[in-house]
Parts: sequence; C-alpha cells; structure tokens
Amino acid sequence: MPDVDVIVVGAGPAGSCAAIVLARAGKKVVLIERGPFPGSKNMYGGVVYPRILDQLIPEWWLEAPIQRWVTRRSTMIMTDTKALTIDFRSQAWGAPPYNGATAYRPDFDAWLADHAVAAGAELICSTTVTGLLHDANGHVSGVVTDRPDGELTASVVIACDGVNSFLAKQEGLYGEFDAANYTLGVKETLALPKDVIDERFGVRGTDGVDIEIIGCTGGVNGGGFIYTNLDTIAVGLVLKLPKLAAQKQRPEQLIARLKAHPAIAPLVEGGEIKEYSAHLIPEAGISMLPTLAGNGILLAGDAAALCLAAGIWLEGVNFAMASGMYAGQAAAEAIRSKDTSVAGLAGYQRRLEATFVLKDHRKLRRAPELVLSDRVQHLYPEFATSVAERMFRVDNPEPKPGVRKIVAQERKRVGIRRRDLAKDGLAGLRSFG
Amino acid sequence: MIGVCLKWVDRRPEPAGVGGGPDQPDERFAGVSAADQAALEWALRQRDLAGGEIVAVTVGPAAADAVLRDALAAGADRAVRVDRPFGAPSRTVADDLATVFAEATTVWCGDYSFDRGTGSVPAFVAAALGIGQALGLVAIDVDVAGIGALRRLDGGRRERLAITGRAVLSVEGGTALLRRAPLRGLLAKPVIDVVVPAQRIDAAHPADARPFRPRPRAFAPPAGSTALDRIRTLTAAGATVAHGETVTLDPPAAAERILSALREWGYI
Repeated sequence: MPDVDVIVVGAGPAGSCAAIVLARAGKKVVLIERGPFPGSKNMYGGVVYPRILDQLIPEWWLEAPIQRWVTRRSTMIMTDTKALTIDFRSQAWGAPPYNGATAYRPDFDAWLADHAVAAGAELICSTTVTGLLHDANGHVSGVVTDRPDGELTASVVIACDGVNSFLAKQEGLYGEFDAANYTLGVKETLALPKDVIDERFGVRGTDGVDIEIIGCTGGVNGGGFIYTNLDTIAVGLVLKLPKLAAQKQRPEQLIARLKAHPAIAPLVEGGEIKEYSAHLIPEAGISMLPTLAGNGILLAGDAAALCLAAGIWLEGVNFAMASGMYAGQAAAEAIRSKDTSVAGLAGYQRRLEATFVLKDHRKLRRAPELVLSDRVQHLYPEFATSVAERMFRVDNPEPKPGVRKIVAQERKRVGIRRRDLAKDGLAGLRSFG
Repeated sequence: MIGVCLKWVDRRPEPAGVGGGPDQPDERFAGVSAADQAALEWALRQRDLAGGEIVAVTVGPAAADAVLRDALAAGADRAVRVDRPFGAPSRTVADDLATVFAEATTVWCGDYSFDRGTGSVPAFVAAALGIGQALGLVAIDVDVAGIGALRRLDGGRRERLAITGRAVLSVEGGTALLRRAPLRGLLAKPVIDVVVPAQRIDAAHPADARPFRPRPRAFAPPAGSTALDRIRTLTAAGATVAHGETVTLDPPAAAERILSALREWGYI
C-alpha cells in the first residue's frame, strides 16, 4: 500500500488546485513545496485571470489577496521615439465576478495553498523533491526528497514543479530541449505612492492597469509589460533566449532602456526598485507541450508548458489552475478505478482537450511564432507608428494625404514586402480570427 | 526533562512591527532564530547522549504552533504552547515558561531573537526557577557526565564553565546547526498541549511596545573656559582613573562591595 494517494510536487497555482480537488474528493494528498512557504520563490508580475476559481472557491473575490482589478488594458506599439497605444477600459471588470487582477504571488499562492490545507491536504514546505520512485513495472510510485528518510510512495504523482521540470525530464516526458521555446521574463517592482500610481495611470481605488508593449526590446525579440499593484508597479520584459544570447545584451539594460522611453519614463519616474527578478517562461505554445501523462504521473502548470503567450493574450496562472484542477480530477478518477497507468489517467488529457486549456492552445498555435517573428518585432512597430505619425501630422500648406497613400509609402519606406504583409495578415487572421 | 524555549517571531529584517510595536508576525515569514534552532539541536544532542524527555515550549497565539510542529518533527518529545497574544513582556513570558519547566534539569534557549528583544527571558526563567544560568554560550560540549561550555564575556574574554546542576543555558546560533527533520516527522500528526495562563495581559504592553531608547541622565554642565576644556571635562579625556581596587572576598561580600563601589562612583 502506498503511503498516500497522491503526491503533488510544487505548491503554485497548479499544485494547490490539484490538492484542493483531491482532498475534497477524500483522497490522502501531500503537497510538497521547495520554498519555506507557497509562493516564496515566485517572481511573477502579471495578471491573474481567475475565472477557473469560480469552480473551486465560490465568491473567491471576497477573500483573495488581490492588489488591483484590471479595468484598463492597453496595447502599446513603440519604436525608440514613438508610441501608438490602443487603450480599452471597462468598469464592468472592476465588479464581481471580475475579469483579471494583479496580485503578489507570495500572497496569492499562500492563500490558495491554505485552501488546500483546509480541504485536508498535507502541506510540507522547505522540502525539495529530488527524484521519482518506480515500482517493479517501471511505473512512478512516489518521490524522493532531500530530507532524511525522504522517500514517500503514492498511487499518483502530479508534477507541478514549474518550467524546466526535473521530474518530467527524469520520466522522459519532455522532448528535445530547444531554447527557442523559452523566453526569459525579467521584472522590476517599483514602489510609488498609491495616489501617484492612481494619477499617472488614470485609475482610482482598486482599479488597475495592464499595459502590454511590443517593439520595446531593441534587437531582441520579445515584449514588455507594466502592471499596477496598489503601491508598486511591475515593469518588465520577456526576451527570446536565442536572440538575447546572440545580441549579448543584459536584460537589466533592456529594462533600463524601456524605463527611459518617452512614453514610459513619466509613468515610472521616482519609483524605488524593491525587487529585480528573472524567470524562464515556456512560450512556444502547443508545439512544445510535453507528454502530459505517464504511468503514475501527470504534469500540470508550467511543468506542462501550459502558458499562453499569444500577443494580445498573455495568460499563465489560469492555465496552471485549470490544468491542476483537471489533473486532480483525473487522478481521483484513476485511483477510484484502481488504474493509475497512462490509460487510467487518460481523463486528464480528455479534460484538457475539452476545455480552453488545449482548445486555446490549438487555436492560437501559430500566434507565438507570429508575435515573436522579426517582422512583427522590428518592422511593423516602425510601420504602424509611422503611419500614425503621418496621419496625425498637419503639413499645411500641403493637403492631407489619403490613408491608403500613407500606408503604401510607409510600407515601402520601412521595407515590408506586400506578400509578407499579406502572409502575416492571414496568419494573424487564422490565429486570432 | 530537558526544556527548550522557542520564540515565534517574524524573520524578515524589517517586519512591520519594528519601531511601531509588537505587531503580529506574518505567518509566512515567522519562525525561530538560528539561536533558538541551535538550542533545540543541543537539547536533542543532550537527550541522545544522556536520555530524557525534550519538551519544546513557546509562548504565543495559535499561529505559533508552527514552530512547535517543526520541533516535534525534528525530534522533540512533547510540545507545549502557552496561549498568549504576541508581544507579552519578557518577565511574563519567563514566568509562563518556568511553569512548564518546573521539573526540567536543563533549559536551552537561544540568546537572541530576530525582533531585537532584550534577551532577558533566559535570565528571568532562571530566576523564576531558582536555578543557575549560563548565558551567551559560544561553544558547548555535551557529555554524559555534564555540559562544558565557553561563555562570552565583555572585552573579548571567555569564561569556561562546567555545568553539572540544573541550569538555564542560552546559546549563540553558530554553536550548532539544527538537524533536518525527517519526512516522516513532518507527516506525523503533531500533538501540542495548550496551556492557558491564569494571568491575562494586554498584547501590547506599553513597556515593551516602544523601540529601545536609553534612559536620559541629567549631568551638570562641564567646567572649563574653552570648548576643548569642556569636552575634556565631559569625556574625562586624559584623566587618570581615580577608582578601582582589587580585593579578595567571598561571593556575597564581593557582590556587596561591587554594589557599594558603583554607588560611590555614581554609576547607580
């Protein structure tokens, strides 16, 4: 008999949601976290889209440790001296059931793990899982930790140990490693008084802003972001690894460059750096997904590369929570039917396929490559901002040129071939349409 | 019984309470100091050599149970929490601890906590129990026959002690690294006895809520016609020490002589 029903490795959003589901299903579940508390080693600085929480914690918004509710969302296209922003605001997003929120993950993850513990899961912190145990048939039968007498057996292990999962690697669930599938996320957290943030970003109370930026990463393909917390802002970049290595640029220099941009400097001026951090992000979408289930093991969250980086949609925590929840459901189902082999755990893949987790990834499968392509990164920002500049510039006594003429002239000047523009437009339509 | 005192405290360098009173620690960042961990390790080593029951005790709210769970996982035999709000005065904490340690042969404490307390609890515990104290130990040698220790004194001096009777010992964090709790220990269901003291006090005792400020002392203006003279007078720079004596007395008479000398010289 195994020591417990399920071992969940990693108490991030995926792990805690898996543990909540399993504990509520009456399973004996141990949640093992490497840090001293859930969220302690996190560097996330994004928006949490918590719709999946509706299924796990009714009216979660009454208790979740949220910084601000995102009611304003901007997409900024910039060059060194120009910026074109599409700005959207909805006050409906500032009221239940809400749409997205900024949160400090040490608060958010600890809160979510508390729910797992309240449901009956056993949380063990400051403990690193160093490997997997296998039974005589080669099925995963538990984990080895870095503690004395550190072996623990279980019917199922759910690996939520983050990007670059060592457990998935040990089990051979990852394909060949390709650095091009990853970006490096770097972030500065800047402290500013709340009223200054409210004034600069045009919000009040707990309303917040999410700004996504393209064209701000120099010669390195990637993107930028600014998120408002109550009295801090997160400013950062995601940078494609091979380009970053080839350009030999330091990420902190690229952040400094972003902060000095005329469109950004007034927003961040006077902010005191409270934190600088960096982390790998699995950004290649469905093309890099590992095998999600093995005999006695499931992968969820970043360990399963379930992160959606599709230009206008940048989501990760919701995919982590959902995949964790479905992994928990599938594990409970497999234990009930006394079959924890790949076949017995097939309910996991089935659930992912039936919901947004894999449907979105499939639909947007071309998006990561398109968004991080050289044309989108380096030519289109110059093209779009130049067209805008010409459209809004008053050249009296010359008469106003027509938009079609401006577009044609700027396309030619920037050096975009008509067929490439059509090709990318079609790819965009296929992805986002 | 071997007693271990564990103080549940915020381990961040600048918790919210610094300078503003004893705020409740953030549970995520709360724990015990390296010195308290060393105290627990020495208790475990003493038990492993000489036998006995280790009782780990903390004084605090229910959230402080976390440090006792860790102590039990590491090998303590029993855990007791005296239920009080965080921030009780040192003497009250010591009285609470002494109630539990009435039968203890040795009580191990850390010699400091992260919240910059006064470090007076071990001495108060010893006084409440009426037993010896050896505080600020920088090296320890636990043996079946007893405990040898090196104690830190002022001016870089050291005092070597042989501890054979009942005593309260406070140790520095560098003396020992707490063993890593086994996984089975963490998974075991801990049983923590909760003692509710008869005497209730407010959480924020005014005497403990303030940051440390030395008491002001009134001095007569220094004599001298120039600023330099006045500074010399004020600091006694260049003056020969007018007092100091070597006497041989038995301990009670020596203590009396020290006190009278300090009074004569104006220190107390």
